[in-house]
Amino acid sequence: MKLLESLKAQLSKPNSTKSDRRSFLQIVGTGGVLASLAGFFYQSFRSLLPNVLYEAPQKFKIGLPSQLADGVTFLEDRRLYVFKEAKSYYAISGACTHLGCTVKYTKLNSPKQVEIGNEKKNITFEFHCPCHGSKFYADGTNYAGPAPSPLHWYKLEIAPDDGQLVVNLGEEVEQNFRLTV
Amino acid sequence: MPMVETTKKLYKRLTWTWNPGSEKEAGDAIVKNLLLHWFPNKISKESLSWSYSLWLGTISFVLFIILVVTGVVLMFLYVPSVERAYSSIKDIEFVVSFGWLLRSMHRISAHLMVAAVFLHMIRVFLTGAYKNGIAVGSNRPLNWIIGIALFILTLLLSFTGYLLPWDQLAFWAITVGTNIASAAPVVGDWIRFVLLGGSTIDQNALIRFYVLHVFFLPMMVLLLFSYHMWRVRKDGGLAVADKEASSMKPEAQKPVKSKTYSLLGITNGTSVHVRTVSIDEEKNSVASSPHLIRRIWIVSLLTFLSVLILSVIFRAPLEAPANPSVTPNPAKAPWYFLWLQELVTITTVKLGSFTINGALVGGILLPTALLGLAIWWPYRDRSGVNSVGVWFARERSGQNYVFIGICLFIIVLTIVGTFLRGPYWNFYWPWEQWPTMPVKF
Repeated sequence: MKLLESLKAQLSKPNSTKSDRRSFLQIVGTGGVLASLAGFFYQSFRSLLPNVLYEAPQKFKIGLPSQLADGVTFLEDRRLYVFKEAKSYYAISGACTHLGCTVKYTKLNSPKQVEIGNEKKNITFEFHCPCHGSKFYADGTNYAGPAPSPLHWYKLEIAPDDGQLVVNLGEEVEQNFRLTV
Repeated sequence: MPMVETTKKLYKRLTWTWNPGSEKEAGDAIVKNLLLHWFPNKISKESLSWSYSLWLGTISFVLFIILVVTGVVLMFLYVPSVERAYSSIKDIEFVVSFGWLLRSMHRISAHLMVAAVFLHMIRVFLTGAYKNGIAVGSNRPLNWIIGIALFILTLLLSFTGYLLPWDQLAFWAITVGTNIASAAPVVGDWIRFVLLGGSTIDQNALIRFYVLHVFFLPMMVLLLFSYHMWRVRKDGGLAVADKEASSMKPEAQKPVKSKTYSLLGITNGTSVHVRTVSIDEEKNSVASSPHLIRRIWIVSLLTFLSVLILSVIFRAPLEAPANPSVTPNPAKAPWYFLWLQELVTITTVKLGSFTINGALVGGILLPTALLGLAIWWPYRDRSGVNSVGVWFARERSGQNYVFIGICLFIIVLTIVGTFLRGPYWNFYWPWEQWPTMPVKF
């Protein structure tokens, strides 16, 4: 009853100091509850964003250049095709640019001439994606299927300490990149 | 003898609500039993009809219960770690007594639940059951939206469960699925990172999917499901009851005995005579207990039986352990997402040198548009009260055709993706032999 009376009183004179204090406390209370909820949700959510990732490093050694087989080598666990042509080396990612399936190195029965950009090239192999049928030329240029862009090329370096080949998955390079040793 | 008497009494005490002996007991049953209290006291005969609702909502819920029970047992047997997940599933399949059956039932129920919820949605649309009828205070469009949310939760539950066996099927379905998320503009990569807890599908992703699958999503389903049911009651029951009530002719109701508390004490008399419709009348409705309950039992048993038979016939597959370097060819998402996979394959658009990724169009824009359309639909449907709770109401035939068209489109794409796509996502007829593909590079 008392509550009802005070409510009536408040309604009849809305500008009284009492109602100011009341509405102030209401704001503080509601604000406090909302702020606690927001903070609580933020800290719960933020804790789910990992600060440290125990994933394989982006930069890793793959052995001495001379030990690499001529032609193509597939680094299975890193999904990377590494090529050795005479003294030059380059690396193309095996992850399809559409939805990330591993593309397959497919040798052509006979070399075919294709036009990439404005250049005519003879290619002997292609990359085909098993998931949605995207196809890429030997240099990774997409030409069929849903893939929106060419396969990524990654930088190769020579380690200064022991002369091994180093792949840097953090650094993409152009299709004309060659590491000559 | 007293022993027998006591047992009989006890049995009666425990079961009378399910099998009431009188009208009064039937009414009391609903109020006095926790499991029954969310049903109405009386229910119209039309609402109980097999052919109106097809009981698809009930079937979905029964499947959910089967999933919870088998799922809890599986939780005791499964270890969500990348080192042990695969071998624990293998143990469930080949070592644990009845483990194969539990897993198979869990899987079949999950597939059936996706189908049942989808069909339930189609039923609600085609009967105009998302429309408000004559009941005061009903808000059926809201319940339709809750239903859509439940459908999405069902898909997410199934999808998160897909990763847990940690075999090739699981790994690549999740690879494709989460990469669709990363095709979203601006925030895509971030969303994928949050989903996986990293940039690759690894332990973080597994534990995330596991917790979502066994706790978070089921809780959301329970919450929304109770709200869904509560709304059905608030909205005046099934839409067909509105149709019944509006088609009834008002008639004189029998006067009812009443008591009035006056200053001079209690006055006995009868209520005023009125001409009105009453759906609660005996010829239109029956007591929920036992009539509704009996049908729910029948539906539950039939659902359980179907799940059991299907689980024995279609055993759950287990492929080779997950191998991030070898993509199976073809790599397919779960069947209910294959219409999306089909879409992401055919919707890559080239405008001059500018390419729009199919994953964005088919995987994000189109599904979002469909979702928006579904939410908006009940608010633009201005058909009259007479097409509420009626199958294929003439007034709504245009809408029904559009809706059926969209559903057929999705179903056809699903069938193409499931049965007619082979290696490299090439098209093969079912009678055509797939070429053998080398598994390794």
